[in-house]
Amino acid sequence: MTESLDYFYSFRSPYSYLSAPRVFALPERFDIEVKFRGVIPMAMRGQSVPRAKRLHTLRDVAREAKRLGMPFGRIHDPIGEGALRCLAVSQLATAQGRAGEFALAAGRGIWGEAIDVSSENGLREICRRAGLSWPECQAAVADPTSRERVEHDTAALAELGHWGVPVIALRGELFWGQDRIVDLETALSDLGLLRQTPAAVADDS
Amino acid sequence: MSSQLPPLARLSPRVVADTLARRTLPRAIVRSSQVTLPARLTATARRRRGRHERLELFIAFDDPCSAIAAIDLSARLAGRAVDIVPMPVIERGIEGDPAVGQKREYAVTDARRLARRAGLTLARETPLRAADTAFLAEWVAAAGPNPALLVFTIAALRRLWFEGDGPIERHAFLDLWREHVGSEPRRDPAAVREAEKRMSRRGPYETPAAWVAGRWYFAHDRPGQICEWLDELGWTPR
Repeated sequence: MTESLDYFYSFRSPYSYLSAPRVFALPERFDIEVKFRGVIPMAMRGQSVPRAKRLHTLRDVAREAKRLGMPFGRIHDPIGEGALRCLAVSQLATAQGRAGEFALAAGRGIWGEAIDVSSENGLREICRRAGLSWPECQAAVADPTSRERVEHDTAALAELGHWGVPVIALRGELFWGQDRIVDLETALSDLGLLRQTPAAVADDS
Repeated sequence: MSSQLPPLARLSPRVVADTLARRTLPRAIVRSSQVTLPARLTATARRRRGRHERLELFIAFDDPCSAIAAIDLSARLAGRAVDIVPMPVIERGIEGDPAVGQKREYAVTDARRLARRAGLTLARETPLRAADTAFLAEWVAAAGPNPALLVFTIAALRRLWFEGDGPIERHAFLDLWREHVGSEPRRDPAAVREAEKRMSRRGPYETPAAWVAGRWYFAHDRPGQICEWLDELGWTPR
């Protein structure tokens, strides 16, 4: 049975955006399944985000995005309806095995291209890029059970004793932050989940 | 009717405010953070006057990530004309943060992983109480400018976090102070409050944070980026 990790992600978190390409690429190198769990943004859960933190986040992410070679700066903050619509569609994308494609497309659109995901045109374009059917996405947005599942995932993060995103939970151990994926990789290696490359397999035989 | 109006006239105050908040302002903040010319000119002027760059390192003795940052940064910045000035604080964090206890707990887990990256082993499993290490912050904050303070700060952080998990014995730290600083320490809570205010003015709301030439970084998260910023300013290793 394949080991899995829970990946708690917010569409309003630029650090989630930075983490996504590396998290979704983990199964290429490790024998691990990534379970995407979208959560409601902190500021929509009644948690205060002070001005100093908001300013620092934008500046720090700009530097990190440059280092990682990811577009950042043309922003349309999705807080509110945009984030909720993305979360609803992410439930559909997960069911269709396209959570990675959707999270990557939405992140790039929101943080690098200023796409307004609260608009029909904006969200439709993201869904198209992720290879999702627009009528099915519209149905997911209108489906009240999508919101229930998102609230369940948000509650699951709180039950783990954590507050922010991105968080990756592996066997009850938590890794918070896009800059802690390297520590997660160490933990995965320690668990013997590093996939053997064809060359390594040949050396062993 | 509205479609016959010019585009600007169709913009309601709510739409304008929304666009400013969601698009214009974030973009302006990002763009302005990429302006480096004033910092580079200032750094050049400092060098011409034979002065060093000053990196203010806001730390808390009860914070294991502060220990990681102080040890790591002092090693990385060796050989550069950059003075690391320890700024000890006690009160920090987001006001009214309901997760503050969880964050203090998680900091121990996080520091253990960061220590492993550096080939170190954290000796403690649980957070320290800020009250138990407050005297160290008060000693360092009360002392005047002195390069020995960084040496003492690192030695004290090592002892607190990497050399045992027992109770904090003040006399051991007093010996360290005498060894590295010389004179008798003086406790000054007001000096710590000043450091806390300074940290707030500079922008950081949590430790460890490094402020240098107009930018601040979480010092345990971004040591490489701090070095890159110093390189960009011309404070390269000699």
